[in-house]
Amino acid sequence: MPAYPALDTTTLSRRRLLQLLGLGAGTLTLAACVPEAGPAAPQAASTAAAGARTDFSFASWSLTEETAAPAIRELLGQYADANDVKVREVSYPYNEYISQLTLQVKGGQVTGAVHVDVAWLGSLAALGKLQDLGPLAQGADYTQAGLTAAQFDGVQYGLPWNIGAIGLIANSGLLEQAGIGEAPATIDEFEAALKDLKKLGGGVVPYAASTKAAQLKDVLIWMETFGSPLLDGGKVTIGDDASVEAVTWYKSLYDQGLIAADVDRFDARSLFAQGRAAIYDDAIVGRDAVVSDSPDKKLADKLTAWSRPVLAAGDTPRALVWGGALAVVQGDGAETAADFAKWMTSDVEVAKQYFAARGLPPATESALALPEVADDAFGAQFAERITATATTNPFWVYPQYAQIETVIAEQVQAVLVGSAEPKAAMEKAGAAAQKLVD
Amino acid sequence: MSALTPTRTPAHRPPASPDSPAPVRRVRRGALRSERRGVRISAWAAVVVCGGFALLPVYWLLATSLTPREQVFAYPPRLFPATPTLDAFAALAGNEQLFVYLRNSLLVSVLTAVLSVLVSAYMGYSFSKFRYRGRRSLMYFVLASQMFPQALLLVTLYSLFSAYGLLNTYTALVLSFTTFTLPLCVWMLKGFFDTIPDELIEAARVDGASRLRIIHAIVLPLSAPGLIAAGLFAFVRGWNDFIFALTLAGPEKQTLPPGLVNTFVGEASTAWPELMAASLVVSLPVAIAFIALQKYLVGGLTAGAVKG
Repeated sequence: MPAYPALDTTTLSRRRLLQLLGLGAGTLTLAACVPEAGPAAPQAASTAAAGARTDFSFASWSLTEETAAPAIRELLGQYADANDVKVREVSYPYNEYISQLTLQVKGGQVTGAVHVDVAWLGSLAALGKLQDLGPLAQGADYTQAGLTAAQFDGVQYGLPWNIGAIGLIANSGLLEQAGIGEAPATIDEFEAALKDLKKLGGGVVPYAASTKAAQLKDVLIWMETFGSPLLDGGKVTIGDDASVEAVTWYKSLYDQGLIAADVDRFDARSLFAQGRAAIYDDAIVGRDAVVSDSPDKKLADKLTAWSRPVLAAGDTPRALVWGGALAVVQGDGAETAADFAKWMTSDVEVAKQYFAARGLPPATESALALPEVADDAFGAQFAERITATATTNPFWVYPQYAQIETVIAEQVQAVLVGSAEPKAAMEKAGAAAQKLVD
Repeated sequence: MSALTPTRTPAHRPPASPDSPAPVRRVRRGALRSERRGVRISAWAAVVVCGGFALLPVYWLLATSLTPREQVFAYPPRLFPATPTLDAFAALAGNEQLFVYLRNSLLVSVLTAVLSVLVSAYMGYSFSKFRYRGRRSLMYFVLASQMFPQALLLVTLYSLFSAYGLLNTYTALVLSFTTFTLPLCVWMLKGFFDTIPDELIEAARVDGASRLRIIHAIVLPLSAPGLIAAGLFAFVRGWNDFIFALTLAGPEKQTLPPGLVNTFVGEASTAWPELMAASLVVSLPVAIAFIALQKYLVGGLTAGAVKG
């Protein structure tokens, strides 16, 4: 019984109501299923400045970052003035950038030049809207490593801007205190060095390795160090002896307190900046962050790059390629955007200005030969010891690479917290990754 | 001295109960008093713990905003900044873009609140005071729409707004926020309208008032606290949203949550003192409005909860 007497009755029947609801649901479904074109063969960018310059968009996560934005804006202004065009800025926070960019490119909201992490090129290329910049790359003296990093499936989808790697960075002050002179060459020597660092006490974490699931993809490079190829002709090899051995070793570091719980890249930088971690994994882009956040005014001078230790003396040290490239999305202003991308990534004067502002390694031979770049001792050491042997993550060729890394990371975390055995967990991770690859 | 001090004599004592001797009563009274004191202490302890739980993050926000960047992660952590500084606040003053984000947030949140209240008032009134076929189904359908994860609807809404050319507009933000605020606002206002006696409405009809006049001249003024509560809820929802504002608004119409992240959270580092200072400053207007109107919010949320 209703609490109050009914005041009125409308003629809306239950059937009519269901019809209306069905209509609404149908509309939503149709809206969600807007037809889209499949990936098409990439359009090649023109090599000559054929037509008049037009306005275009430039998307980058760095456009609002306090350390990067002024330098990039200055360069955008220079290009805009020289070519009498306007550049529309598009920016999203780094952690949201690829998902937002994917949505906007797919929806046709963003065209023109886009700044991408080289790891994302496969995902973006799968949308079928990126231009082939191969013709544009010819004639510029990009490093071969840079060109390779900015390719996907053999197509030059990006022009390399800043190419480096992710490797081990150590605090030489703490190393000295622990009596560690030479960088350890093998995994056994590395573990011994970590034990020496632990003896320093004072809550120092010897190696701030990633242990949070979100960043546990870092363990992949250790699996490669132990000899697992990760992927062999479309077959995921995680679960093989090498990957199991790598995770078993990682877990032993965890159990001995040589690496700490709940650490991701941001935590590792904080610990390192505060002098509470002696070694951590990072790209050279992290240098500014640890130096500016540190109470130790001399930390910049104490940074030292270590080649990743190898399983047996004579093996090649492993490192993961890291870097940024400029890609061009077909559509309004794409031709001018392509010209801008080439100017931004290969002009020596631009490289000089940008390096002065950010200290990131350029990707052309002429820029790398600049005295400013060559004189950066830590940068040169990083390039020689880490970037020189860096390789891409084999899963990056799949647009779903982030999901693949996540399913592997979840199993590694299960091992770390003791809820799974390394062999079973890695076999499970390999099977889950294989499903995603297939 | 002794002459001025009242002497405790049996005459000053309260009259004795015939069936309990005085020492026993004293013991009982003492036990009662200590029991009351225990309850009071427990209550205060609970208030302090809950208050600390709620206010400690706000304090930490303030403390971080006053801490130099290199000391933010100092170990061991300090409750008070060792060398407090207003640098982070000074940096905000020169950042005009933050005021653009603030303006966008205010505009979008106010419009969301107004639209939500407008639509949900009529819907809530209909559910409360009319009886028609499918009313109950419709009510639960509205509530069920709240069960979908909002991120799930993001792509759908994006495609819809894209098809209608509404991306990168305030309209897209207001419509999407209103979509999510409506169910709760409708149910909140229905509860409020349920407490208005039908006799009052019948009396107005007898006096010749039209249906619209009854709603606008009688029901809505009586429901002002509920309308304010619903409006506040919708405002806060619009104010806090991150992912829809980031996706649908475009660079020019971005609101504070994505704007602050975009400004202070970088690829390799986060400007924590500046981020905390900005969060503090932009929270103040909302906090003040909330404190001023909180009695309506509490009243609106509890209206209809208990029927007598």
